[in-house]
Amino acid sequence: MLLKIREKSQGVFAWIILLLICVPFALWGIQNYIGGGSEAAVVTVGGKEFFQQDLNRAYAQYSQNLQGANFDEKVVKKQALDKLIKDEVLWQHVKDQGLVVTDKAARDFIKGLEYFQTDGKFNKKQYKAMLASQRMSPDEFVSKIKKALVMEQFQHSIVGSGFATEKDIENFFKIQNQKRDVEIANVALEKVEEQPSDEEIASFYQQNQNAFQTVEQVAIEYVELSLDQLAKQVEPSETQLLAYYEEHKDLYTTKERRKISHILFAFDKDAGNDKVQLERALKAKRELADKEFSVLATEVSDDKLTASKGGDLGLFNIGVMEKAFEDAARSLQLNQVSEPVKSAFGYHLIKVTELVPGEVKPFSQVKKELRTAYQRAQAETTFYELGETLTEVSYENPDSLQAVSDALGIKITKTKLFSKSPKIDGSSKEELVSRPEIINAAFSEDVLKGNNSSLIELGDDRSLVLRVIEHKPAEVKPLKDVKPFIIAKIMNDKAREIAADKAKAIKAAVSSGKTLAELANQYNLKIQKMPDVSRSSGDLPWQVSQAIFKAPKPADGKPVTILVADTSGAQTVINILSVTEGVMTESDKAKGKLAETNLANAFGQADFNAALNSLQANADITFKATE
Amino acid sequence: MEVYETEEEQVAAIKRWWKENGTSTIVGVVVGIILITGWNFWKGNVKEQAYQASALYDQLQASMSKGNNESVQKIYDKISAEHAGSAYESYAALLLAKTKVQEKDLEAAKSILEKQMNSASSNELKNIARLRFIKLLYATGENEKGLQLIAESDQVSAKGFSASYDELKGDLYVALDRLGEARTAYQSALREGAKSPLLQFKLDDITSAEIIAE
Repeated sequence: MLLKIREKSQGVFAWIILLLICVPFALWGIQNYIGGGSEAAVVTVGGKEFFQQDLNRAYAQYSQNLQGANFDEKVVKKQALDKLIKDEVLWQHVKDQGLVVTDKAARDFIKGLEYFQTDGKFNKKQYKAMLASQRMSPDEFVSKIKKALVMEQFQHSIVGSGFATEKDIENFFKIQNQKRDVEIANVALEKVEEQPSDEEIASFYQQNQNAFQTVEQVAIEYVELSLDQLAKQVEPSETQLLAYYEEHKDLYTTKERRKISHILFAFDKDAGNDKVQLERALKAKRELADKEFSVLATEVSDDKLTASKGGDLGLFNIGVMEKAFEDAARSLQLNQVSEPVKSAFGYHLIKVTELVPGEVKPFSQVKKELRTAYQRAQAETTFYELGETLTEVSYENPDSLQAVSDALGIKITKTKLFSKSPKIDGSSKEELVSRPEIINAAFSEDVLKGNNSSLIELGDDRSLVLRVIEHKPAEVKPLKDVKPFIIAKIMNDKAREIAADKAKAIKAAVSSGKTLAELANQYNLKIQKMPDVSRSSGDLPWQVSQAIFKAPKPADGKPVTILVADTSGAQTVINILSVTEGVMTESDKAKGKLAETNLANAFGQADFNAALNSLQANADITFKATE
Repeated sequence: MEVYETEEEQVAAIKRWWKENGTSTIVGVVVGIILITGWNFWKGNVKEQAYQASALYDQLQASMSKGNNESVQKIYDKISAEHAGSAYESYAALLLAKTKVQEKDLEAAKSILEKQMNSASSNELKNIARLRFIKLLYATGENEKGLQLIAESDQVSAKGFSASYDELKGDLYVALDRLGEARTAYQSALREGAKSPLLQFKLDDITSAEIIAE
């Protein structure tokens, strides 16, 4: 098809056809490349696609803000994704709404940022340097700032316009400063004297078997191959080290630094004036006798790009220039100027302006490094060879590690009993047995059957084979071991029950019209009268004061009675006698508009969150099907 | 497609074609240029308008944070006159309403919000204006009217605001001493994930005696 078009391209309309084919193709192509090719987007927000790499970047930025605080990676990834989506939804909305930020506003904002200030003044140098360290151009940065400012305009319009009416403030203090008049009586746990019967104990044991389980444990022995250990056994001779040194000399060599400048006498496009340029070059060379090279370069060099810098070409690298140029540049001494050298561009005068010769560190100086490197290199080969032996021999002799131990000449090491989560249940503090690789192998079906494990690699430089020497499966502890515990528990449960029953009886008596004072003797109660309990008074345990304010208000002069149990099972009977609605106190008034400002801000923030939810609910968001 | 034998023939063909279509080609090109320039001019103009509105809005914000309500009103009037229908007009209106509340002129705030409730530039702003308008009705004791407005709100467009509406509904019911309905409304707001710090307190404050009785 393309060939046919080319053949007919003399025809008048051929180019139109070409255009028709090429334009959609070009557009399609661009979109495809921008989108990241065939990779599927992880999430699409209103037509904007986000790929795994965008997600990774968002995650990196987001977790950077957490500053190394402990967090669950999965949770943070989810949060980062949520934020990415929220931001994009918001961004699309504000664009859609036609919000913009003027250059001046962006400039003023940037100048006001502390990061870019020294002694309270904007410092342009610092600004550029900080952007450069983030690999960001000023344009890019300004556009990011504008984006942020536009979104802020939207946010401010909602949060900043939130208001609290007098009624809101009144309601707030009505609840905040509310006081409740209460009386409180504690019903403590009483010691139960009666011992439980054997049947009770047996039945409790039967019903709570799970609570009496021991954890499964194993003890292992293993043969470990360690690169570090092997390396220590290598004893290199002087000759071996010397040979190694010769072989790896480049590792102990610093490169030559050669900086060059040049003056170019360029050929004209219509050639034929080679000679003219050569003569210009020779004349210039002569002038150098009493003129600085850099000054002359500025005056006469046809390479306008470098002329302004005195002809400086920077550090010289092999393989960039033409061969003739390179040879000349390489053979020059410091400050020496070459004869005119011919290249495709014209004639060059070359000068070496800086020369730090390469240096090979002498053997004696690097001997220690050499030794370690040699040892490791030698040991590596042994390490892999022995690793294979370890695998083979332990597989051929699955019932014992003795054979591998003999074959490798490495001793067998034994551990104590440990569980599947040794660090958590404290069964072992050894580093090795808390490694998941070891735990998985030690508790695997095959190993528990009595076989050697396969080769376990702990990183690049450690590997081992293990077997179980003792296995204690999870089991229910025998009744006699746990009997004292069960007896105590049953007696405690009874005591709790008695206290709860007593509290309920008191409550029933109060609701039938008796006062707490009347019941005090019968139940041996000590009554504590507490007028004007407020939300913020700290005299009462937290759960008690919480319950007081969650309770219904007394109506028709009839008190409301509630019961609160603490963790030990002791009960508190609370009688709520009356409620006084709160008003603004003098100290609240002294704080001026604080309450109004805080409430208005909280209301505005709530509205903003609702607006974000609404935007998100109405946005077109699609996740990749596989997730 | 015709294939021409000689150059002269080709030139003659082009000349013939020009004679037939020259005028319309020129007209086409001229119209095209006018359209493109006009489009660019119009877009530039729109952009310029947006920049002006944005700058005015920033000024309004600044006046507001200084507490200069008079200036807020003036800038609002300017935005409203020169940039009617823009998002900035709605934003400015919301801020202006706040200054009216601060000045305790609830009626003025109401009329600003009521207007935005119907004409704001986005669905979200309409809902926010509506919520705040109802809040003012609550503050001035027009509780029935507030409930009616909530009932009339469009469920679909209010998606995302339902927790806020429910909390407000609870407040209105409490004011009317219809505590059972208030409880249901507050609980529904909590279920929908309302973040209002007072909500739980408000609900606790109207605990029913039957719930505790067991």
